[in-house]
Amino acid sequence: MKDIVSVMKLMMKEKKDILISIFFGFLAGIAAVGLFASSGYLIAKSALAPPLYALTILTASLKLFGFVKAVSRYAERYFSHRATFTILSNLRVSFYEKLEPLAPQVFQKYRSGDLLSRIVGDVESLQNFFLRVFYPPVILVIVFLSTIFFTAFYSIYVALILLAGLILTSFVVPSWFAARQRKVDRHVREGRGELSTEVTEFLYGFRDLKIYQKLEGKEQQLMDASTHYIKEQEQEGIYAMFSETVNKVVSFVVSWFVLAAGAFLVTEGQLDGIFLAMLVMISLTVFENAAPMAALPGHFEDSRSAATRLANVVRNEEWEERAQGCLNSQHAPAIDMNGVTFTFPGERREALKNIAIHLPAGSKTAIVGPSGSGKSTLLQLLLKIYPVNEGGIRFDGMSLEQLTQESIWKESNVVLQENHFFFGTIRDNLLLAKDGLTDEEMKAALAKVQLEGFSLSDPVFEKGENLSGGEKQRLAISRAILKGAPLWLMDEPTSSVDALTERFIYDHLFEEAKDATVVLISHRLTGLEKMDQIIVLEQGAIIESGTYDELMAKKGYFYEMKQIEKNVLLHA
Amino acid sequence: MKQLKELAFAQRAVMSLLLLSSILTGAMIIGQAYFFVTIVDRVFLKDESFQEIVPLLLALLGVLVVRAALTYINGRTGVKMASKAKREFRQSLLAKYARNPVHASLQGQSGQKVSVIMDAVDEIDSYFSRYIPQVIQTSIVPLIILAAAFSQHANTGWIMLITAPFIPLFMIIIGIKTQKKSEEQLEKMAEFSGKFLDTLQGLTTLKLFGRAAKQKELIQKSSLDFREATMQVLKIAFLSSLSLEFISTLSIGMIALEAGLRLVVFENISFFTAFFVLVLAPEFYLSLKELGSAFHTGRGSMGAAKKITEELERTEMAVQWGQVPLKSETPPAIELQGAEFSYGEEGFSLKNINAAIPPYGQIAIVGRSGSGKTTLLHLIAGLTAPTAGNVLVNGQPRAEYNEKDWFDQLSYISQHPYLFSGTIAENIAIGGRTDASRAEVERAAEKAGLAGLIESLENGYDTAVGEAGRGLSGGEKQRVAVARAFLKRPSIILFDEPTTGLDLHTERMLQISMKELAQTSTVITVAHRLHTIKNADVILFLDQGELIAAGTHEELLQSTAGYRKMFSAQRGVAT
Repeated sequence: MKDIVSVMKLMMKEKKDILISIFFGFLAGIAAVGLFASSGYLIAKSALAPPLYALTILTASLKLFGFVKAVSRYAERYFSHRATFTILSNLRVSFYEKLEPLAPQVFQKYRSGDLLSRIVGDVESLQNFFLRVFYPPVILVIVFLSTIFFTAFYSIYVALILLAGLILTSFVVPSWFAARQRKVDRHVREGRGELSTEVTEFLYGFRDLKIYQKLEGKEQQLMDASTHYIKEQEQEGIYAMFSETVNKVVSFVVSWFVLAAGAFLVTEGQLDGIFLAMLVMISLTVFENAAPMAALPGHFEDSRSAATRLANVVRNEEWEERAQGCLNSQHAPAIDMNGVTFTFPGERREALKNIAIHLPAGSKTAIVGPSGSGKSTLLQLLLKIYPVNEGGIRFDGMSLEQLTQESIWKESNVVLQENHFFFGTIRDNLLLAKDGLTDEEMKAALAKVQLEGFSLSDPVFEKGENLSGGEKQRLAISRAILKGAPLWLMDEPTSSVDALTERFIYDHLFEEAKDATVVLISHRLTGLEKMDQIIVLEQGAIIESGTYDELMAKKGYFYEMKQIEKNVLLHA
Repeated sequence: MKQLKELAFAQRAVMSLLLLSSILTGAMIIGQAYFFVTIVDRVFLKDESFQEIVPLLLALLGVLVVRAALTYINGRTGVKMASKAKREFRQSLLAKYARNPVHASLQGQSGQKVSVIMDAVDEIDSYFSRYIPQVIQTSIVPLIILAAAFSQHANTGWIMLITAPFIPLFMIIIGIKTQKKSEEQLEKMAEFSGKFLDTLQGLTTLKLFGRAAKQKELIQKSSLDFREATMQVLKIAFLSSLSLEFISTLSIGMIALEAGLRLVVFENISFFTAFFVLVLAPEFYLSLKELGSAFHTGRGSMGAAKKITEELERTEMAVQWGQVPLKSETPPAIELQGAEFSYGEEGFSLKNINAAIPPYGQIAIVGRSGSGKTTLLHLIAGLTAPTAGNVLVNGQPRAEYNEKDWFDQLSYISQHPYLFSGTIAENIAIGGRTDASRAEVERAAEKAGLAGLIESLENGYDTAVGEAGRGLSGGEKQRVAVARAFLKRPSIILFDEPTTGLDLHTERMLQISMKELAQTSTVITVAHRLHTIKNADVILFLDQGELIAAGTHEELLQSTAGYRKMFSAQRGVAT
């Protein structure tokens, strides 16, 4: 509930558009009531053979109501939708403001891109909060109250019946359904999750299923999950229909009471018969405004859970930067790790165990080891994405705890395994590196990674989808070259680049990084001869370290890995 | 969409129910108007007492309740029909994908297929649950109202008849006019709305470059641009409903005016008749307008239906199987006779392959990436069928053998074995012919060098892995696949040798395990390691889908330039 209140606060920023849409919504609703009221009155009046001018006036007002109703409805829609999209923009900005300080550590929890799109989907579904949850009851209540006020002039009883109808259709029935909606939603979500797992396993594990002849069993499981999911959806659909029907029945019954009470009052002589048709028409029309209330519980539940999910993404992450210190700029740092041990939050296994390394300023270090040995984790600790559990990391003698994340990142050229590229051009993506880059500088940087073929104005699609894996890696390296910071941290930067190009790139890169401190995680063991130090990790621990020649002479783990690599056909 | 309509109308019982409930709904609308008007007429003009109209009131209450109930039945029927359709669509997609040769499922389109089978099928829903019931209702209810209007006051009927076509006409005109414009805008909208996701995905990069703060304004700008683009489209939609509103208001006004004039000036119709047609008129136009909104929801479904039909219509060559049993202790002899494989428009991935694989043979398939090695492995495995030529097993086409017998003989160790959600024990046991005992599973794990790792886990063999469980490293997964093979003890092993990234322990275990497994079976390896290649009895050297040469390592080094070149390049880089 707290989370939805904060959405409401955000929504209220658009007061002007909201008030305008409420005004026109009210106008449209009340004009519809007026239209039918006057038509009922017109016909009753005609029955009594009135003078023609009276009818002319009534007909004119009928036309006026019709016109006002149609135009106001248009204006209402226009302004309410405009408000909705402005609210969406505010929601995005506000969520971004909350999320931004928590990145990138918050993303480690949500490794799959799917979750990120769910965040986006949740933000988008919240835009409906105004249009489908907040707005309909407001219009409903105002239109109803005005109508009730009007009818009270003719019959206080009819007014009271309408009031009862208002309370029933807009509060009692929706809240009764809202309480159950949560359960229905949960079942549907669970059913979907179950089916999604089955479908994923069926398609991604297809070959193994086929070979082990488990395909038929899996098909059956999948169909069972699908049947279950469809059943839950069906329940949901029928439930929604039921809620709609109940609302309809209530409004019909209320109109019926209006008619019955009106008829009774007329026969008792307490109400002029000429108003009976009008009151009945009013009642039938005014409940049309109550129709959206049937769908309200569902939308409310959607908004509520979206708001809660979003709040949870940012709530439990309390990343408070207490550090004040800054890294000395434009000078290659020396790095020490001392007895560093690290376990990922929520895991039992230590990802890194008692790591002690010394990287002198300007030194070149390679970290090698099998996949899953903790190489990337080590790099993340250096970037202060995670705090270490035990031991300490020092940059130029200053503890990492005292340094801000920003100051470390500012002084680092980081190339990760997966680097993001934004929708735009090559130029846009390179300009991220530094302000005031000239086209010449950018072209030179592209040449250093053998991407001369690219023009700076070539388009880049979302996530760099139009680039190959190798091109993306090379582009990321050229972006890092442009940044020109004195510390290089690279995680398998050339895993998708062929060996010859890799060698060319490294030659330029080490020329570029002559004076910088370099940490290179490498999947290949070639070209490591010139490194000052090679650190071999396995299962989170350092197994060996030394120069290439030392490690080869030792004939240990590195030597054996090297033998295997020699044995592997690089081109096949 | 033709198929959707056919599918809907095929459900005859459901259609009749919808038809019936629509007719009844029409009747209830007439009944409602009749009783309302009669009650007002009697009380207002005929001065009847309240007691006299009580039966009428009760009848009206009944009509109202039945009308609401019919809405419920109509909606419920739609929902049920949608369920049935979704189930059928999912079933046929599944049947399609299950027949699907492995080749197609490995084209990196699995994600897309997940989305078709999940989301596209879900999107079909509104076509059946909303659109079809509404279409039936709209084609019946206005007719009934029209008939009632004609029976009471023909002029009203004529006005309705003349004005009604303007509503669909306007919808079509506006629809055509706006289609192009909204398509243009849609592209822009997608672009703007993708910006937010793009920024979130790239947040790490932005922060590492110290650019995150600036993005706030960009998000705002693209969101507001999105708003403008969307409003362009919506304005047109709103304008269209505005004009529909005008048409119906105008028409109702005409009906009222005509009836009023008759009542007052000419005095040739009764109050009852005039009031009756006036109450019916809005119901008539409302029903017509509702079709428009139902059409809107139906259109979304049609796009999804198109996606599904495209999937269903894609032709695949299913792998054929026969009845001949394949039971023997020794591995079968396999022979490829002019086997070819081509897929879609990509041309040949394998051309005219002739090779013999004797029992207990150690075969290595060697070639650059993209030369068709994995396809050849699939062909031998019976996971895809050759588009020409034959794969012979013990001299008979593989297609004549019993499928189960064949796969009972076979293990396939891929580079990225799939872990199903379940325990480690279950994931090993999946390889077995029958339900393997825990002791057998443990023995297999032991042989694959997994026992140590598994025992170190808190829940041992019952540790959950896969989707919802603990992740295993590449080396660990590889060893699970080997354990599956040890459990099965197949007579043919297909092995896609890993390239790099394995730990030494796995590397050693793989060598030892494969050696042991090879003693009882034929092993066909897509080879990346020199020792595997050197130890092979026969090397099949592939280049661009063609079998360039076959022989031992030494023979090929001597005879084949391309092969030699590959190895000299190797020495050049791997210093």
